Amino acid sequence: MNLEFNEEQIDALREFMNVSIGAATASLASLLDAFGTMHIPKIEICNSSELSNKIESTVDLNSMYYVTKQLFTGKFGGECIFLVSEASATNLGRHLYAIQTPSCDEVNDAVIELTNILTSTIVSRLTQELGIQVQFFVPYLHFTDAHSIVDDGDISKYSKIIIISTILDFQDQQIKGNIYILTKDEAIESLRALIDEKLEEIYG
Amino acid sequence: MKVLVVDDSKIARISVIKNVVGVMPDVEVFEATNGLEAVELFAKERPSAVFLDLTMPVMNGYEALKRIMEIDKAAQVIIVSADIQSEAKLRVLAAGAKNMYPKPINHEIVKLVFEKDLLV
Repeated sequence: MNLEFNEEQIDALREFMNVSIGAATASLASLLDAFGTMHIPKIEICNSSELSNKIESTVDLNSMYYVTKQLFTGKFGGECIFLVSEASATNLGRHLYAIQTPSCDEVNDAVIELTNILTSTIVSRLTQELGIQVQFFVPYLHFTDAHSIVDDGDISKYSKIIIISTILDFQDQQIKGNIYILTKDEAIESLRALIDEKLEEIYG
Repeated sequence: MKVLVVDDSKIARISVIKNVVGVMPDVEVFEATNGLEAVELFAKERPSAVFLDLTMPVMNGYEALKRIMEIDKAAQVIIVSADIQSEAKLRVLAAGAKNMYPKPINHEIVKLVFEKDLLV
């Protein structure tokens, strides 16, 4: 199975993701009543065994993290992982509940709510661009150190992984998170076919 | 008439150019892939209109808009961005942009831009 993407396909995917992340940022800006700085999404295709190192290279190894994972299925199936540090999650809880010291439950609830909006907006907007539909599973949350974000069970379903990553960045509220979208081999193939259809439409 | 299209994504530039040429077939199009290139091209070519993205490497659209307006305070800049926050629109309008539209734009939007936003 050829899972490589050419330059034009990567450019198109990055642009579709940019539009999707823009929609998600606007939803969160409305929820937080704040302004979010958008960052250019990064697209990488790697072996699943490399995932852990890739993620560790983007986080603070001394922090604890709230990790939320949400699966989605359909023609473009995969998993969305949202990472937010303990400090950012606490700031999120403070901001959403307007209290100085949110409880663990309140922080968990705030992170889950944020992930739900983030994942559903990003993936829905992306699949809308591609003209397909997906179904979402309930997100699950765990609190862990930076070295245990990815477990073996997560990656056993994948051989190659597309990592689409970006940063959620609300500077004034000191809320920052990393978003990763992982897809399986067959989804990568169908994603490439869908991108080619879109390129054909645009280039004519 | 000269039009400058600025976006780091090739597909996004092609999409804007296709629609601009569809509305104004005689335009001379210039392309830039980041804000710095855009500022340099603007200074050299003095286009009648600029279609500018916000989220770009090297120099973002906010900074490019500021510098273009410093070069020519009558510059006609239309922001085309995935950043659809109302605050983003307020910021670019305050910085001198003529209007802002969410990506992706289509023929109808570009027609509207030339009819309502730009003096051509």
